[in-house]
Amino acid sequence: MTRNTLAGALAVLFLFPLGWAAVASVSPQAGTAQVDGWGLGNYRTLAAYQAGIGQYLLNSTVVALLTVLFTLVTAVLGGYAFAMFRFPGRNVLFLLVLAILMVPYATLLIPLYVLLNQLGLQNSLLGLALVLAMFQLPFATFMMRISFEAIPAEMREAALIDGCGSFRALRHILVPAVRPGLITVGLFAFLAAWNDFITPLVLISDSDKAPLPLAVANMRQQVMGIVDYGATEAGVVVLALPCVLLFLALQRHYVRGFMSGALKG
Amino acid sequence: MNRGGWAYATPTALFVGVFFVVPILLVGRMSISDWGLFAGDRGVNVPANFTSAIDDRLFWPAVWFTVKYTVVTTVILLGLALGLALLVQESNRWTGFLRTSFLVPGALGLASASLLFYALYSHLPGILGTPGRALWSTVGLVVWRFAGFYMLLLLVGLQGIGGDVYEAARLDGADRRQTFRHITLPLLRPSLALCTILCVTGSMLAFDQFYILTKGGPDNSTITIVQLVYTMAFGGQNDLGRAAALSILVLLVLLAVNIVQFRGLREKA
Amino acid sequence: MRIRIAALAATALLAACSSGPTGPASTGPVTAEGTDDGSELTLWTRAPLELQANALVEAYNKAHKNQVKLTIVPNDDYVAKVGAAAGSGDLPDLFAADIVYVPNWTKAGLFSDLSERIGLLPYADKINKGHVDAGTYEGRKYVLPFVLDLSVMFWNKDLYREAGLDPEKGPTTLDEFKAQAQAVQRLGKPDTYGTYFGGNCGGCGVFTWFPMIWAGGDDVMNEDGTESLLDGPAAQKVYATWRELQAAGAIAPGSKDETGATWVAAFQEGKIGVMPYPATLLPTASKTVDVGVGPIPGATGGGATFLGGDGIGISKDSAKGDQAWNFLAWLTSEAAQKDVLAAGKSTVARTDLADPANPVDQVAAAPQSRTPFAVNFQQAFNAPGSPWVTLFRNQVYGDPAALESDNDAVTAVLGR
Repeated sequence: MTRNTLAGALAVLFLFPLGWAAVASVSPQAGTAQVDGWGLGNYRTLAAYQAGIGQYLLNSTVVALLTVLFTLVTAVLGGYAFAMFRFPGRNVLFLLVLAILMVPYATLLIPLYVLLNQLGLQNSLLGLALVLAMFQLPFATFMMRISFEAIPAEMREAALIDGCGSFRALRHILVPAVRPGLITVGLFAFLAAWNDFITPLVLISDSDKAPLPLAVANMRQQVMGIVDYGATEAGVVVLALPCVLLFLALQRHYVRGFMSGALKG
Repeated sequence: MNRGGWAYATPTALFVGVFFVVPILLVGRMSISDWGLFAGDRGVNVPANFTSAIDDRLFWPAVWFTVKYTVVTTVILLGLALGLALLVQESNRWTGFLRTSFLVPGALGLASASLLFYALYSHLPGILGTPGRALWSTVGLVVWRFAGFYMLLLLVGLQGIGGDVYEAARLDGADRRQTFRHITLPLLRPSLALCTILCVTGSMLAFDQFYILTKGGPDNSTITIVQLVYTMAFGGQNDLGRAAALSILVLLVLLAVNIVQFRGLREKA
Repeated sequence: MRIRIAALAATALLAACSSGPTGPASTGPVTAEGTDDGSELTLWTRAPLELQANALVEAYNKAHKNQVKLTIVPNDDYVAKVGAAAGSGDLPDLFAADIVYVPNWTKAGLFSDLSERIGLLPYADKINKGHVDAGTYEGRKYVLPFVLDLSVMFWNKDLYREAGLDPEKGPTTLDEFKAQAQAVQRLGKPDTYGTYFGGNCGGCGVFTWFPMIWAGGDDVMNEDGTESLLDGPAAQKVYATWRELQAAGAIAPGSKDETGATWVAAFQEGKIGVMPYPATLLPTASKTVDVGVGPIPGATGGGATFLGGDGIGISKDSAKGDQAWNFLAWLTSEAAQKDVLAAGKSTVARTDLADPANPVDQVAAAPQSRTPFAVNFQQAFNAPGSPWVTLFRNQVYGDPAALESDNDAVTAVLGR
């Protein structure tokens, strides 16, 4: 009983900030667009901001989906390679992938900016998605590797001996077997790309190509550093809502993705 | 099973090569050059970049604060995550709801979560006003955002411990506390180690949460190392050389810390 | 492939360093009004000036064949954004900068030399001198005023009436400021305080306290901006005034932690008697409060303001110098200054267009008003946790005896 009470209280504590943001975004507050009474003033500020919220949502969606695509393709192939093959440079490459986690984000941005310019990908959602996918690789590759390793050996061998070649084995038999891992990796990539702020800040110059977090950050600060908290709260809600819904929809698979990879630890 | 390994690893290699190794090499080059943000490369500048980075008046406070923050966050976050994992270990509707509640904050990006708490804390005047309170407020945010994730990793570890082990312990007459200390904890070690590595690495690179919440204040009491890197590059000094030198130092320290942790993990496991 | 990319990246960064003043790219003879041939121009500015920037760009685009495309960047990240672009020769045609950063950026060669073109303007000597001076490096002019933001004294006339003060007369000396703030404090109204300031906000302190020193004819730095004079008698009088107000409990309690996020909110809510304030917010504040406006006073009288805001120039990377100049020439014209800026309640940047009935315009023209000049201004003053923040926090909340060493710390950064 006390255990349940404690757990319930903790759950409330964890849910509180999200609920608070939703309520605060529609409640009256000085220095915002919603001064008197309850209403959607802050959302109107957000909706009318520069290129319009529709454009920002579209940009964010495009970037997030491209990032998911790049991350999944690269991580599935890479995870497969690391789990099933021994090849020269395998360990070095894997360690390099993990090393991405250890470099301060801010440091890489200037070189990345220069690099994208050289590749003709500056100020493009495609370039942004490629960079965001790179930042996802440590987790994604690790996850896919352990997912493939967790497939029972008999099944892997059977798929290969079948004579259908390693790629067909991957496509028809092994990918279905690591589906939970795929969903986990994909969801992670989506959430990270959807929410990222610093990378688009440096890499994207056109207001009408900016993703939503950048627009929210822009709205936050007014003259002499004054903050419009109302617009910030509305922005957080609009940013969070798709993520929370997507998370709830995929939660079961997401959790299973972790579980299935763990069989081998 | 050796043929084709590289074929599958090529996309990964390309990604890492183009978007990580090349930029890192450029960072490395910046770190040994007198490289202004606006002015570009003005020739070799070692070891001046490194010495001046360490001589910065905020360097040691930042190191000290980053270590303090890392220790505090890791201890609290992992302790809480373990508690949560034990709470929701069984599978039923109630624990399903609990799991969801603890995991949902993870759906927000760290920047969004920081913005949320920034607005939330604005209604609690003074909460970011003293060094201690600013630290704890930020730890609160990070714990809220990440506890669910680490709970999940530990839950995975817990479920990997077979029921027969517990059964055997029960038959031996072990009580709950003894079971936890002598069975659960040791068997959970790999999961705990993975969590520690992730948490320590993440905390040592902490940036977004402080950048948005405290801006390093009050009185420079919450400046982390990565914030110092950012300040050196973009906060007025506009010195990419020094900033890159400091980043390289951070990278080396993190590599060392992680190697030590991996070693410890292997030896004792 | 990798090596090639690295080499390319390196050359791009190397090519970015140029030396000596160069004018913007030009295809024909330099004219006062530039070229309006339907080119697309890019313009970057920071988010706080969004309102004015939008109005200006919209008006320009309507009346010209050239079309300006505006990009708004969050305030705190503007330097990172400009730095990344400058490094790879990718700056927009036009970009604005907080006027206190301008000396650093002109020195770094981010702007094109506009001296000749500015000289062709018939009203060249009427353009706000503080901004033009801040954008002058080694005798060459690089920058024109984009949007002015001045600090003035605001007082709440209703609270003044209740406290028995003359609602039409704001403070004319620091002692009057202190006395009036304390008079409002003595009303003992719940949640209402004498004054307020950004106690943990370097930029706010610069914006509101420097004029108190200038008003009496003193200065905050030497002429080169390499040495801090913030330990002089005028400065000490300013600190003492705020320290005494703090001791008397006449400063609203939130101000010690105020990082600038909400430093103007309390006045707009009618909770503050008198405080230095950004003039751009007069229309907003007037919606909720009956506001009195005057210059920021010094110890023994006088009045001054901080001529802040943003300057704008043509970038070193622009290939459309004549077209970009067309925008700048229009920006300083009467059409832009009166019909866009003044109509939108912003301060005009030309002395010949100032409205004699407008107190803000009058403060702007006051002889003691200025734009401070220092290459390392941001680091020394505005940056969070700058030595200046340490200095004034010690003066108000800590140990005032630290002044000497705190001032030396500011000098150390300035003179770097």
